[in-house]
Amino acid sequence: MRRALWAWFIAVVLIIFLYVGVAALWVNKVKPTILGMPLLYTWFVIVPLLNPIILGALYLYDKRHNPQAEEVSSDVR
Amino acid sequence: MSDDLILGTSFIIVFAVTLFGAGVGKKKSTDMEGWLVNNRKMGTFLVWFLLGSEIYTIFTFEGLAGYAYINGAAAFYNVALNDVAYAIGFMVLPTIWLIGKRFRYVTQSDFIEGRYQSKNLGIFVALASALIMIAYIDLNITGLSAVIQVIGQGSISPTWADTIGFLVLAGAVFFGGIRGNAWQAVIKDVLMLVAVVILFVVIPIRYFGSFGYMYGSFVRKIPSHLVLPGVSKKLGPVWLITTVILNAVGQWMWPQWFGVAYTAKSPRTLKLQAVFMPFYQLVKVAVITIGFAAVLILGTSKPGNNVIMMLALKTFPQWFLILFTVAAILAAIVPAGPIVMTSSSLMAKNVVQGLNPRISDTTVYKMTKALVFPITIIALFLTIVVPSLIVSILLVAYDFISQLFPAIVLGGLFWRRATKEGVLAGMLSGWAVAAYLVLTKHDPIGGWNAGMVALLVNIVVFWLVSLATKPVPKEILTNFYQDAFPQTPADPSPNTVEVIVD
Repeated sequence: MRRALWAWFIAVVLIIFLYVGVAALWVNKVKPTILGMPLLYTWFVIVPLLNPIILGALYLYDKRHNPQAEEVSSDVR
Repeated sequence: MSDDLILGTSFIIVFAVTLFGAGVGKKKSTDMEGWLVNNRKMGTFLVWFLLGSEIYTIFTFEGLAGYAYINGAAAFYNVALNDVAYAIGFMVLPTIWLIGKRFRYVTQSDFIEGRYQSKNLGIFVALASALIMIAYIDLNITGLSAVIQVIGQGSISPTWADTIGFLVLAGAVFFGGIRGNAWQAVIKDVLMLVAVVILFVVIPIRYFGSFGYMYGSFVRKIPSHLVLPGVSKKLGPVWLITTVILNAVGQWMWPQWFGVAYTAKSPRTLKLQAVFMPFYQLVKVAVITIGFAAVLILGTSKPGNNVIMMLALKTFPQWFLILFTVAAILAAIVPAGPIVMTSSSLMAKNVVQGLNPRISDTTVYKMTKALVFPITIIALFLTIVVPSLIVSILLVAYDFISQLFPAIVLGGLFWRRATKEGVLAGMLSGWAVAAYLVLTKHDPIGGWNAGMVALLVNIVVFWLVSLATKPVPKEILTNFYQDAFPQTPADPSPNTVEVIVD
């Protein structure tokens, strides 16, 4: 369980860093433009495309290492 | 085609969609679990749309474009916050699902009551969050009014349109439950997506000649809309960081979103959502682009919330506006469905049955459904009669709801030493700080989002008071977390975890 939790934690930190860390530190500018698009705008187009890749990798890792059950009985009350 | 005819036709289509949802969901809504969480049997397709419906509301359609129009690049906070929330939800939602399935929880307060072994804390959280959610319903009602005002141009009373629209929704929710609402969400999301894509493609070509020229115009004419803080003046990079983190941790604290986790048929369904939902954020980027374009097309003097509908009016033939009007009306009323349902279930199950445990589950189910109408009417009444109160509540609503994060995620899932006293003291401190800073207009403070400052105060108080008070007995917590955190040979024993955490 610990490996799955660490992998998740790292993915969360990475995604936060991509969105707000990179945006604040390096791309908070109009130029250079990329394909005509302003730099900060371009970054917010790229990251929503990167996230499914990061979370997809996490999904595969999690499927292999997470011991949580896929189904539980609901007979406890 | 007259404005009245556009609105009339749109309302007939909206009525048909809500009836369809009510019909589809009626068979599955025979008891509380069926009505509120679809017996935890919703697959990837419906959960995707149900989550999408809650996240892509009338705010995305009108408010976000208006925010970009007025505050420029600060609007990107809204793209980032949901994506960070999906990443957080990847582990949090399935874990909550596992605990909820085992103990047959259907509301957020059930979870809090079970984790902290405190009925009173459950009742308190249920009452507080139900009140905050009623204010949130009012946000949707206000959004519907804005659509009616722009399209109807004064020919139809927004008050009457709001009343009819939301009573129809209450009826649909009463009969169709969450499953019916999910099918309404499918239609709403598809229409909204089509409307946004059409605007995103047509506006650059019609007004600028091409996408390249449009972006070139942005760079030359409105560069201050393209950086932080830029045109907003106060909303800089630190504000972006604190706002994104606060709202991302707060997203799943809204009881109606928390409740969506219970509708899924398995934890994997929820994990798949987290993987694919970020694609949805591109719709928000498109809406923000339209907001920037509106600055150049309409000038800077328009009311921000109306710019999308004004551009639609200016750009398309009138008959075509029916698509935008139906999408906007559905975006206003469909997301309110789970909010109304969750508010009524919190009141009936957690407050009324909590105070009087002898009431049977069948009675609670009937009471929950019956409460749908009074709650909708109260929300309508407050919006119409005391709009200034609603504005004040809404100003602090997001900051308030995020203060549940220590209770539900930090202590609820990971820190077993957390206590009910710690939760209550932390939450009250967070609410007090948030209310003071926001209502005295100290938001942002030193560049920080005021809600984030409140959350830090909350976490410190939560931690200190928890350490000073008696925790829930170990054996109860071991049973509570049995499915959520199963022990494997590689993991330390629960006792070791306790020592590390202590």
